[in-house]
Amino acid sequence: MDHELVARQRMTERYLLGELDADARQEFEEHFFDCPDCAVDVRAGALFVEQSKVLLADESQLAGVSRPVPTLVRAKPAPANAPWVAALLGMFKPAFAVPVMAALLAVVGYQNLVTYPQLKLALNSPRVLPFAFVNVGSWGGGQVVSIRPGEGFLLFARISADGYPRHVAELYNPAGKLEWSLPIPSSERDTSPGQDQYPLQVPGARREAGIYTLVVRGLTAAGESKEVGRGSFELQLRNDTNDK
Amino acid sequence: MQFQSFDQSYLDRLRAGDFRAQEHFGAYFGALIQIKLRSRLKSPEAIEDVRQETLARFFVALRDGRILQPERLGSFVISICNHVLLEHYRVGSRLDSLDDDQQRDFPAKGTDLLSLLAAKETEKKVREILDQLSERDRRVLREVFFEERDKDEVCRNFGVDRDYLRVLLHRAKQSFKSLYLKDKDQDRDKNKNLGNDAPELTST
Repeated sequence: MDHELVARQRMTERYLLGELDADARQEFEEHFFDCPDCAVDVRAGALFVEQSKVLLADESQLAGVSRPVPTLVRAKPAPANAPWVAALLGMFKPAFAVPVMAALLAVVGYQNLVTYPQLKLALNSPRVLPFAFVNVGSWGGGQVVSIRPGEGFLLFARISADGYPRHVAELYNPAGKLEWSLPIPSSERDTSPGQDQYPLQVPGARREAGIYTLVVRGLTAAGESKEVGRGSFELQLRNDTNDK
Repeated sequence: MQFQSFDQSYLDRLRAGDFRAQEHFGAYFGALIQIKLRSRLKSPEAIEDVRQETLARFFVALRDGRILQPERLGSFVISICNHVLLEHYRVGSRLDSLDDDQQRDFPAKGTDLLSLLAAKETEKKVREILDQLSERDRRVLREVFFEERDKDEVCRNFGVDRDYLRVLLHRAKQSFKSLYLKDKDQDRDKNKNLGNDAPELTST
């Protein structure tokens, strides 16, 4: 692969953006493994991208933005002259719209007066959450968390001090599938001599009972991550929905 | 900018177990291998396995005198990496643990105080570059890299095309690279003053 062509076609950017097909990607890799200029370019680019991810993730956490879960492809807007548009507009005629509006108002009123206050009360009321200590990196486990279906819980992840400036915690379900990944800024650590502890609040979700694994990775600013340890705990579901 | 050449003397130092040469080799090619593997393997453990196996096989080949063109060291490393990757695909899951792992010693990548300081510096530089971007460009990067949204959709939403995305990344990368290399130059000068002559990234 010609170096001039690589620069002209912005191959490094295409590579980092995942735009190259398999053959072009392989060809470019063979080039930059032997071309010091491109190797530096790719390394700097990859380092920038990886570090940006971490910083933008921190910003997103502050702003309450989360990585989106996969969703169905959005439907394309239909052309304005589609036949069903006229039918849809007909729904705004008073004979149809007034009862619908009344029903909607009733729903909104119920939510505002009954549902939301209850949710707010539940959120603002202190309560004891199920929890488990997970000793990351040591053999065994044995900790059990017993929750009601859909309930959240706390995990206290303990790891030996490893010197990494930041970490990422990942929760794998009993099927070995990644449930979530959470960057942990260094400021969130409770540091004791020789040991760090991370309190992690696991949000409520429909979960299966079984052995869950928490994996903690250390992140360098170079974008490299290395597993520093893992620990497991057993999640048990109980059906005592009436106890408070 | 250029890399001080991989030559016979560099190979000799590697073969002789020169710590700085081995450390340099592991860091330089280890990073390139990791970048290559990221788009092919999902699990960090698998990436680490293939990377370590590639480096281990390289050192075996070096010991056995099978590297005949020192100036084509990169080609040699990537061909080993491709073989290891193919074997990994064939096995279908994680490679079995290597029985003779303990006999294959190449420098471990520890996290020492210096690398932590370097990490902080890198973070600071990237933050500076991100801070200089417009709000729109930051959002574009966030949606592409952090939220991993479909790039065509992101471009449509922000009224830009794919080339804009490439140029945006190119400019940010170039800014970062100039800061990155400036530091490397300073490190190299310090090393020279200290009498260390291992190859480093340099700018011309």
